[in-house]
Amino acid sequence: MSKRVLVVEDQEDNRQILRDLLASVGYEMIEAHDGEGALAVARAQSPDLILMDIQLPILDGYEATRRIKAQSDLRHIPIIVVTSYALGGDEEKARAAGCDAYVAKPYSARKLLETINRYLT
Amino acid sequence: MNLEADSTSFLGLRPLPARSRGSGDGASTKNGFLGFELRPSLRTKLLMAFLAIEMLLVSVGVIGLLSLREADQRANQVVGLQQKIEAYRQMQHNTLRQLYGVSTALAFPNETTLAVVLRQINQFGYDLDRVSFVAKDEVALLNQVREEYARFIAVVSHIVDLIRGGRAAEAKQSEFAELGPLADKLERLTNQLVNRAEADMVAGIDASRQTYVKSQILVAAVALVSFVLTLVLGHAISRSVIDPVRIIHDGLNRIAAGDFAQRIEVPNRDELGELAAHVNSTCDELQQLYRSLEEASRHKSQFLANMSHELRTPLNAVLGFSELLLDGIYGDPPEKMRSALERIQRNGRHLLGLINDVLDLSKIEAGQLRLSLADYSVEELVNVVHTSVEPLAADKNLSLRIAVPAGLPPARGDERRLAQALFNLVGNAIKFTDRGEVRIEVEAGVDSYVFSVQDTGPGIDEADQARIFQEFQQVDNSITKAKGGAGLGLAIVKRIVEMHGGQIWIESRLGHGARFSFLVPARLEQQATQT
Repeated sequence: MSKRVLVVEDQEDNRQILRDLLASVGYEMIEAHDGEGALAVARAQSPDLILMDIQLPILDGYEATRRIKAQSDLRHIPIIVVTSYALGGDEEKARAAGCDAYVAKPYSARKLLETINRYLT
Repeated sequence: MNLEADSTSFLGLRPLPARSRGSGDGASTKNGFLGFELRPSLRTKLLMAFLAIEMLLVSVGVIGLLSLREADQRANQVVGLQQKIEAYRQMQHNTLRQLYGVSTALAFPNETTLAVVLRQINQFGYDLDRVSFVAKDEVALLNQVREEYARFIAVVSHIVDLIRGGRAAEAKQSEFAELGPLADKLERLTNQLVNRAEADMVAGIDASRQTYVKSQILVAAVALVSFVLTLVLGHAISRSVIDPVRIIHDGLNRIAAGDFAQRIEVPNRDELGELAAHVNSTCDELQQLYRSLEEASRHKSQFLANMSHELRTPLNAVLGFSELLLDGIYGDPPEKMRSALERIQRNGRHLLGLINDVLDLSKIEAGQLRLSLADYSVEELVNVVHTSVEPLAADKNLSLRIAVPAGLPPARGDERRLAQALFNLVGNAIKFTDRGEVRIEVEAGVDSYVFSVQDTGPGIDEADQARIFQEFQQVDNSITKAKGGAGLGLAIVKRIVEMHGGQIWIESRLGHGARFSFLVPARLEQQATQT
């Protein structure tokens, strides 16, 4: 059974890139467009990994990560936070929210894939 | 023209301004009197002081003149007394001569001796007139003298007649019985007069001496008072000028240093007080201006930060898709397409770098950049930078060298930002150097590290060295035009170094390469406050 990755991202173009990237290595991608959606999808589908953007409508990535990690049945799901170009402090915030890894935009697709693979193999 | 208003302005009295000028003026109304307040201008103060000194000088002169007049009067008095005494003595002399004359005429009764006696009588009249002229104040005694003389002359005349009549015995008898006693009486009277005059003269000389001493003391006292008063006035005036000038001077220095909140307080109500009030209001205006400028600058930085963020989102998509295309996710691209995709990637990354620079700088300027302080290894930091610039140096056939002392203890700072600073310097060095080498060096100092990047590029003219750390400034020549760039890199390096409480400098000579160095504390525990 192929691994399922939840991508939380509000920009369709970015989702498409990830869709294509993940498909190319045979991962299944499920989507959420905001923090609240991420919580619902994570609970309903319990993905193998979550790729969480930080700047999200309704509920930002930090808060969504914090809430997911606060739930015992979801805590095991690795979360990779994707920040926009960071100016310091973002990494600390992401770690504080409880994420497992941290990737800063602009990321190279190949490098992102390497990070994802670390948690899925 | 209103005369009253005119005179008040001369005395330095001015009507209170209808509108209070600044907070400092509020207190002054307490000193106001019936809507007027005493505001002597500096000119009035100086005028008053000089007037006071002038008046002292005049009073010294007046006192001197009065003393002189008194001395003159005393001298005249003494001269008068001397004349008096002389006249009295003359009279005594005459009496004696008359007695001699009469005795001679009695001894040798002839016309010659008689003529002498008669001439002497005339002389008497003259001397008597003279005495009554010089001694007008001795009326009682003089009248007595005059009477006695009249009698004396009558007796003399009588004796002359007796001698002429050949009655020598009678004449002798008369001389003995009448003339002698009369002469004695006259002498006593004139002696009395002389004594009085002499006593007056002694008193006069004494008084004159006293007057002299008195006026000496008076002049000395007035001179002393003038001296002290001049000193006090001079001191007061200079204090009332120099002190406020110093206060205003200090205030201006503080304003120049950027302290707009302060107020200059001088006690003066004159031109200097007005000047201080003026400086204060100018300071207020400057402060407002400064605030609005600061706000405008903040808005600008905020706008730039937002804008560059907005620009990056679509650019990231462009880069993402072109990377996927290059990676063959959508099938292997033909060679021509691959080359085009690589150009898209290269230009896209360049554009992203520029946008990120603008974002960095605007965030720093908007005060939004916070250093994340952690322990880091200097060696590792340099290695990271080295790894990322190596391909750039290799592309240009430049040798890239590193000199980092081994075994440095862990440093503390924002590793990512310091790496960015070093990266910018090395990137610039590679960009502007066409052949030769670029060296990255680290020197460990006391509690600090100095990172240096040395190149063999064209070097930077001294005049340009001061400008290159300002944003949007590049050395303006054909080389930089050919190399491109927005001129933000060095400005960012400078800000990052300053946020670490360090400093950056350049050593360069045109045609002899450049060496950029920055010093940062070895262990930074707290972000430096931005200035």
